[in-house]
Amino acid sequence: MGTDILTGIAEVVREHLGWEGPLTGDMRLIEDLRLDSVRLLTLAAEVENRFRVMLSETDEAAIVTVGDLVETVRRKLG
Amino acid sequence: MAETVNDYLLRAGRRPDGGLRFVDRGEQATWVSWGEVRERALEVAAGLLAAGAGKGDRVALVFPTGADFFAAFFGALLAGAVPVPLYPPVRLGRLQEYVSRTTRMLAAAGARVVLADARVKRFLGEAVAAAGPPLGCRTLGELPAGGAAAGVAAMAAMAALPSGPRPDELALIQFSSGTTVAPKAVALSHRAVVAQTEILSGCWSDREGLRHSCASWLPLYHDMGLIGCVFPALARDATLTLLPPELFVARPALWLRAISRYGATISPAPNFGYSLCLTRVADADMEGVDLSCWRAALNGAEPVAPGVLRAFTRRFARWGLSPTALTPVYGLSEAALAVTFSALDQPCRSGWYDREALAEERVARRVSAGALSGLPDRGQEIVSVGRPLPGFRLSVRDPEGRELPPGRVGRLWVSGPSLMQGYFGDPVGTARILRDGWLDTGDLGFLDDGELYLTGRAKDLIVLRGRNHSPAEIEQAVDALPGARAGCAVAVSWLPDGAPGEVLALFVERSRRASAAELAALPDACRGAVLAATGLAIDRLELLAPGTLPRTSSGKLQRSETLRLYLADNLAPPAPVTPLRLARAAARSGLGYARWRLARRREGLP
Repeated sequence: MGTDILTGIAEVVREHLGWEGPLTGDMRLIEDLRLDSVRLLTLAAEVENRFRVMLSETDEAAIVTVGDLVETVRRKLG
Repeated sequence: MAETVNDYLLRAGRRPDGGLRFVDRGEQATWVSWGEVRERALEVAAGLLAAGAGKGDRVALVFPTGADFFAAFFGALLAGAVPVPLYPPVRLGRLQEYVSRTTRMLAAAGARVVLADARVKRFLGEAVAAAGPPLGCRTLGELPAGGAAAGVAAMAAMAALPSGPRPDELALIQFSSGTTVAPKAVALSHRAVVAQTEILSGCWSDREGLRHSCASWLPLYHDMGLIGCVFPALARDATLTLLPPELFVARPALWLRAISRYGATISPAPNFGYSLCLTRVADADMEGVDLSCWRAALNGAEPVAPGVLRAFTRRFARWGLSPTALTPVYGLSEAALAVTFSALDQPCRSGWYDREALAEERVARRVSAGALSGLPDRGQEIVSVGRPLPGFRLSVRDPEGRELPPGRVGRLWVSGPSLMQGYFGDPVGTARILRDGWLDTGDLGFLDDGELYLTGRAKDLIVLRGRNHSPAEIEQAVDALPGARAGCAVAVSWLPDGAPGEVLALFVERSRRASAAELAALPDACRGAVLAATGLAIDRLELLAPGTLPRTSSGKLQRSETLRLYLADNLAPPAPVTPLRLARAAARSGLGYARWRLARRREGLP
């Protein structure tokens, strides 16, 4: 399940944010993926759209890495 | 004739199509009439008064786009208080930056209470504790009258309302740039806001069979969204269709689809919005969309890129967009909003100007297409932002404040009926830019045939994606990085030729003691630090030798001079001063001019 979510997020990041490199759970959204505020918004919306979940601001406060995002989505789907 | 924003609210709600339409991510719409807005605002007013916030108190508002924002905003006004809209946290991260920014703004406005959306409130604890508004932070449901039946509360509120505000009292405070360093709280009187609203409403009068309506994704804590879209709709008792800004950014097609579905005739956006549509709207998103209703696609709040105007018009013509829809405009929050408009129902105008003459002589000299073909980089295309709106005057001045004739590049001053009263609680900052009824915009430009053309900025301001940022917060982010010289960074942004929007450049001086490893890691460290602190991506990063950045005689870094030198390819470290070097420096500007004259003469130009 976690791997599928990571694959899905990798596709979102590639398709909508133009990230070409590999994507691993320990990568940080801001420092490593270099997402500015517009791209963070896009990521949040596209992840919600793809997995049909709603992230809430409370969840989001704790999301620093790709792994955190995977975990949040997994919990929502659970 | 309305004299205050309160008058607008009290008179609205008589027409069936007067109200707000909120479009959500599923493209479902929720309708709230102006009458309902007023009713809820009365409840909030009653609650605020009961809680102890009233006449003249600043009420900070932190809400996403939605009905609650309007209940809170107008509720504060009806209670005689001054609403101060602030922005909600951005998604996914940088909460610490948000907290310190919000703390500064709450303090600058001297807020008595913060009203917040329930989901947002949990993030505000730290900022509220630090800024200490006496009545704390509350959701609308936590106001004293919140539990009472609507009708009862509204009636009680009507009876308890303070008499309406005077036109010279404050209608709102808006922040011109959201910054952690020195937030500028722009204080606007009812008179100014009403004057701006009437001017905008006068630009598109309804006629037989046509009721203008506006659609907007612009944030409500910003002048273009609030003053430009909300008040004219309220004053005309008309429809306003709203999308949350975060929805637009993620799905820009929803904006165009909303314009089509609801037949909006007016919809504004900064250059960034049009540019985002070009890159992120797919043809498939446009199925069934008809943009022929869109009469005024106002484009303001950041420099207008001619390439984006053309590309947007060309691309969306297929879906009915009129070639005259795009309308470049100019304004600033210190003037409530708009100062100039280009002509409605006319194609955009731009001119090609001699680049060297603009930069070196500060003269706007048009170059013809023929001259251009031989000298591709001599001309610079600049878009006209039009003529002053009724009641406004423009004055282009030299650094000493003397008015310059048309065609000369200088600092733009404006006067008009909707200038701010000043920066709230900052008489020194106010006196710096507001003099004898004239506002120093800090923007550079010239007048040609009565129309305004902007060439850059003299004020230190970063303008990206329609939002203003203080360069200091970007510079401070890299201040303590290993290998960087402390206090020796400069951030600037500008619109390069042919670019779709402004680019952000950061100049950082290396420390003399930096190790090779530190220097190798510095570029990445700078980009990461700026992103983490501000959410902005650096487009160009230059590491410089110590002492390269230009300073004033008192040692202050000069940002606009840094940009000028960089663009002229003259940003170089200081060399020992020798008589020969001094003579060369003196000759350089004269020599360049002579060379340029010679080249022109060869081509038979004056």
